[in-house]
Amino acid sequence: MSQLNTTRAGAGSAPTNHGETFSVTRRSFSFFRLTALWEAFLVALGSLRANKLRTALTLVGIVVGVAAVIAVVTIIQGLDNKVATTFSSQGSTVFTISKRPQIIRSREEFVKFNKRKDVTHEDAEAVARLCAACWRVGVAANVRETVKHGDQKFENVVIRGVTPATMFEIDGRAIEVGRIWTEAEGVSGREICVVGPDVLTNLFGGASADRVIGQEVRIAGRPFQILGVLEPLGSIFGASRDSVAYIPYSTYQKVYGARDSIVVFVQVPTAEQLEVAEDQVRTVMRNRRGGVFKQEDDEGFSLETQDVFLDLYGKATSNIKLVTIGVAAISLLVGGIVVMNIMLVSVTERTKEIGIRKAIGARQKDVLTQFLIEAVAVTAIGGAIGVVTGFGLAYLIAALIGFPLLISVWAAVMGVGISSLVGIISGLWPAWRAARLDPIEALRSE
Amino acid sequence: MSDVTLVSPSAPSVLTTEPHVPQPHDASALISMREIWKTYQMGSEQVHALHGVSFDIHRGEYIAIIGPSGSGKSTLMNLIGCLDTPSNGEYWLNSKNVSEMDDDELARIRNQEVGFVFQTFNLLARATALHNVELPLIYGGIGSAKRHEMAQQALAAVDLSDRVTHRPNELSGGQRQRVAIARALVNHPSILLADEPTGALDSHTSMEIMDLFERLHGEGNTIIVVTHEHDIAKRAHRVISIRDGLIENDEKIR
Repeated sequence: MSQLNTTRAGAGSAPTNHGETFSVTRRSFSFFRLTALWEAFLVALGSLRANKLRTALTLVGIVVGVAAVIAVVTIIQGLDNKVATTFSSQGSTVFTISKRPQIIRSREEFVKFNKRKDVTHEDAEAVARLCAACWRVGVAANVRETVKHGDQKFENVVIRGVTPATMFEIDGRAIEVGRIWTEAEGVSGREICVVGPDVLTNLFGGASADRVIGQEVRIAGRPFQILGVLEPLGSIFGASRDSVAYIPYSTYQKVYGARDSIVVFVQVPTAEQLEVAEDQVRTVMRNRRGGVFKQEDDEGFSLETQDVFLDLYGKATSNIKLVTIGVAAISLLVGGIVVMNIMLVSVTERTKEIGIRKAIGARQKDVLTQFLIEAVAVTAIGGAIGVVTGFGLAYLIAALIGFPLLISVWAAVMGVGISSLVGIISGLWPAWRAARLDPIEALRSE
Repeated sequence: MSDVTLVSPSAPSVLTTEPHVPQPHDASALISMREIWKTYQMGSEQVHALHGVSFDIHRGEYIAIIGPSGSGKSTLMNLIGCLDTPSNGEYWLNSKNVSEMDDDELARIRNQEVGFVFQTFNLLARATALHNVELPLIYGGIGSAKRHEMAQQALAAVDLSDRVTHRPNELSGGQRQRVAIARALVNHPSILLADEPTGALDSHTSMEIMDLFERLHGEGNTIIVVTHEHDIAKRAHRVISIRDGLIENDEKIR
């Protein structure tokens, strides 16, 4: 008995395996029905082509939706990117020591911070001397001033007194033409300056940078000689960052006095060293304050990186972004409803065809796939056109606002993907209705 | 003595009013219908389109199902063609119990076992003759090269090799019906099921189509023609007459 079984199994094993492999292949083949899928695709294309006006209307619905979403997302991404690069032009390797933090949230805070001792040039020198992890240390103070040349006036220019000359590098600014002052010039208190490109545009009628070197501008009534011109950085939120004139800090003190606390800039070689450097600076500053300053739990100075601006920007804009994308998404929803509407019409119109197909062997899922593919084909094409249109729109808007556009492959893929998803969702019900049609009823219809 | 022996064992069952015990289906038959009922719900009323119909059809037969409109012959045709399932009774097609199949299994049977020919041809208007004929093969999951070849052969069998790329609106009525016949035959089905195949054709073309059926029958196909025209029915070898949902007459005429 057992022998018989063994023999059977042994004899049967090879052919059985073959049989199984064959039947599995056949089953999976017939399950996917690649030929039927391809047929469904061709039928979908044929039907879309045969009803050009209907297809065009459907396309418009989807294109508008996708274009709106893509344009909004692209503009937001461009804006985010612009903000991020702007605030990190000093890089994530720079932090500041200041009397007041850059963002003050309340009047109480303002009063509290104002009681602090000023940060001085001596503090900066102590940090430079004692902080081993600090790579570059510089000092900067700003004031807004009208700059003149001949009878030309340029108002609201940022006059930035800096020392030493490495502050240009900490600020992430490069010289386009001319030079930065020498160390000797820097401490001499001479009236010399390096100007941003906006100053040229506004005071020299856009004359080329090399013709401006050596000329004079008047700042606070004093003649300043232009040593160099900065490379442009562009603007952020409509405020130009090139409307600036750098002068030596010694000169700044001479002209404006030490009327306000200064800001010390510290740069470390790599972002990883930021924390170590901050700890060392904290120690140095606490020692220098020596407990005299200590009121409540305040240490009497603020250490900040530029991330505070990014955080603030992120918090301030996240809701606006959501609402904007939401509004754009509504138009995509409307597009989806258009597709569903058209698909329902298409199913009704082609009841007879569905009946014929079912009579000769189309299963429910074959009919379902055919109409789903039709819906997805039209929405995917609409999505692709929408992505291009959306980028175009974003490009126009970006050009109007004046910031560089960030075209992302991610947004393009998402645009086509989401619109295809819309196609599946809105095509599902019409396709299901088509699949469920009774073949006899369907054949009878005209 | 002879009187006693004349009483056949089956006689009481014919005469009895006891509930009818269905005969088991004939396993050798291609089609075996047993006590087929079809009941429709019309509002609050139940309408019986078929009242327990039983018959067998063997491979290679050429049958006409005839009856006036409303007799139930369309219902019967839909059942034979597996477009519908009976409310009651058993339908065995090619040794498979079709009466218990679900929609997808029925679609498979329609694809593999049944070739439909309709009165109004029912071709896809936008597709070429070749593509129309290929359609059942597509749903049968047959690859394009094989499909092409089979469709070409089927069109050649109905003498339409020179009309392969024509669309239905570029063909005459007779040619359209021949494309439909090619489509019905392309999967080598067990039965060719024609519903008023000449109903939309003039008498000359009708005769051509009936000649074609005769030829196909001669080549071994099983053919069932549903019609109300006696001229058409007369071409068959066996005629089943339906009236009021019952078989009125079932006779071999050839």
